[in-house]
Amino acid sequence: MTSLLTAYLLVLLLPLFVASWRVSLAGLSLQGILMAWMVAAHHPAPTADIAVSMLDLALVRGVLVPFALGRVLRAQRRPVREDVIPPNMLSWGVVAGLVMLAFQCASWLHPDPNGEHLQIAVAATGVLLGLFVLASQTGTFSQAVGALRLENAIALFELGSTGHVPLGLRVGQVAVFAGTLLMYAHFVRRIRPAAATVASGRLL
Amino acid sequence: MTASLLLALPLLGALAALWVGRERSVVPSVLVAATNTALGAWLAFAAHAPSGRFWHGYVAVDPTSRLFVLLVNLIFLGVGGHVWSRVREFPELAEGIERVVALALSFLAAANLAILSNHLVVGWLALEATSLAAAPLIARPGSPAAVRAAWGYFLFSSAGLGLTSLGFACLARSVEHAGMEPSFFLDQLRFLVATRPDAWREVGLAFVLLGYGTKLGLAPMYSWLPDAYDEAPPAVTAMLAGVQFNCALVGLFRILEIYRAGEPRLVSVTLVGLGLASMAVSTFSIIATHNYKRLLAYASINHGGVIAIGLGLGGQATYGLVLYVVSNAFIKAILFLSAGKIDDHYRTKDMREVSGLIKDLPASGLFLTVGTFALLGFPPFGSFLGELLILSELMRARYVIVFVGFCALLTVTFVATGRSIFPMIWGPSSHPGPPQGLFTAPVKLVFVVALVTMGVYLPHAVSALFVAVAASLGGS
Repeated sequence: MTSLLTAYLLVLLLPLFVASWRVSLAGLSLQGILMAWMVAAHHPAPTADIAVSMLDLALVRGVLVPFALGRVLRAQRRPVREDVIPPNMLSWGVVAGLVMLAFQCASWLHPDPNGEHLQIAVAATGVLLGLFVLASQTGTFSQAVGALRLENAIALFELGSTGHVPLGLRVGQVAVFAGTLLMYAHFVRRIRPAAATVASGRLL
Repeated sequence: MTASLLLALPLLGALAALWVGRERSVVPSVLVAATNTALGAWLAFAAHAPSGRFWHGYVAVDPTSRLFVLLVNLIFLGVGGHVWSRVREFPELAEGIERVVALALSFLAAANLAILSNHLVVGWLALEATSLAAAPLIARPGSPAAVRAAWGYFLFSSAGLGLTSLGFACLARSVEHAGMEPSFFLDQLRFLVATRPDAWREVGLAFVLLGYGTKLGLAPMYSWLPDAYDEAPPAVTAMLAGVQFNCALVGLFRILEIYRAGEPRLVSVTLVGLGLASMAVSTFSIIATHNYKRLLAYASINHGGVIAIGLGLGGQATYGLVLYVVSNAFIKAILFLSAGKIDDHYRTKDMREVSGLIKDLPASGLFLTVGTFALLGFPPFGSFLGELLILSELMRARYVIVFVGFCALLTVTFVATGRSIFPMIWGPSSHPGPPQGLFTAPVKLVFVVALVTMGVYLPHAVSALFVAVAASLGGS
């Protein structure tokens, strides 16, 4: 579990420093797949609840998210570069500060340093970074990535609970998440970034 | 049975609207809203109306759900009547109307479920479903600004409801840490929260308040609201302000019904802080704007702030709060529907280009006047009494600084709104036109009568329902 959570933390952080929409989508997809792996590792015996969780994490978050958004971006022939956070020292410093803050919060909420402590710390990191991306971006795609990072962090946090939501409602949650994702893709398609202005006139 | 009808009828109406198509599709929406309003009135006031838990405990009929089911269905009926009149007056508006009606009725079904739910997750899912239905209604085809506003609305809705869901998970952990089996059923939660407060509960409650605050358009996550209310068609804005706002408010009421007793200080400080901040940002924005629809949107944020302060105070403010919330729903419906007519006539939302409304559009001018006086909390409207009760509780509870800030912001809002709106109404006639069709007037007239009734004389049955809702919030 610890290695999976460490991998998840890396997947959270790396796309912030690589300004490419493909890497952002790969990061979101890997988050879903890693969470599905955690569920599979924790619950080897399959039940209906686990099946719904796997459907949500592996299929919807791991496959549908990059597919739905990637298809729109490819159709728009978006340039490869797409910053998730502003590419400057201040933003990177804020990211480092947020990671430290998340780990401090986890220590305050769950002082016992076991596996659950790390899970809470990584989920808190995801929440804070998701909010940071949302707050610092104005582009539709980047904002959608921020919101999806937040949703994934919440899903990671909820993995630690013992499952108090009945199966029917879990299916409803998955359906609403899928609907939300499709709505994001719809808006990313409809709101295109302003076309780059073509410089006119000669230089020198 | 009644609860099932309240949910099933709008969904059947949505299918019927898609089936019949064009202008005839508006008829099912009005019929459904009228039937639902009648059911809501029966549920609220009939002696033998069902109450308690239904659908294996997922749905509950209690004073809060009785009041709000009636309120949102009545507002929806008004909006439906407005749309019907507009389509009859301007047949070109019937183009693609069946899609709008189907989405609006799905929105109503989800809104009814959000209010009736006795389970935190069911209420949350229903609220999210209202956002999914409302976003395409805001995004008018051919208007990039409206599409952007719809995106902002949907993004903030998802983020806010995401934070709420995180809050629920934290609250569940708090119960788990106390060694008990967590539950999201509201009636069971009441017993579970009797445990010792811990950090999980505090964090969870803070997330839930922030999440619902976002849905209500409270500061700091309010920036979606002016854009969405400005760009959406007037009927959709009235639906967002009069129906969805109240669904989110019911979600917040449910949380406070359970957790206020255990965390009075956290609830009070957070809500009063959010409320005062919302009043402050809306006041400065009201001063700065020249767009009358945005001004009304900022006034909605201001009202949200007053409601948050009333909720944070509790005690004797609660009855005033209920009165204020109900009045607020009618005021916003009147004002946004009237604003639509004004925009339609003058083809501008700039206040400086609108003048002599009372001569050019007598009916809309009159409704804007009445609505503005109610908005500003003048007697004899219910909003006046509600605000007065909240203010007196502020003094009684010795929140002197908040009282001073509240009064100062209210005064500035009053002056800024009056300075902007009144020249629109009584200035020289700027755009005389043919006599105005009065198709939509009866709807707004009903809302005005309800507003005045709440300020002058509340029938015993209505007053008893308000008292019961206030009592469930811990008020007196």
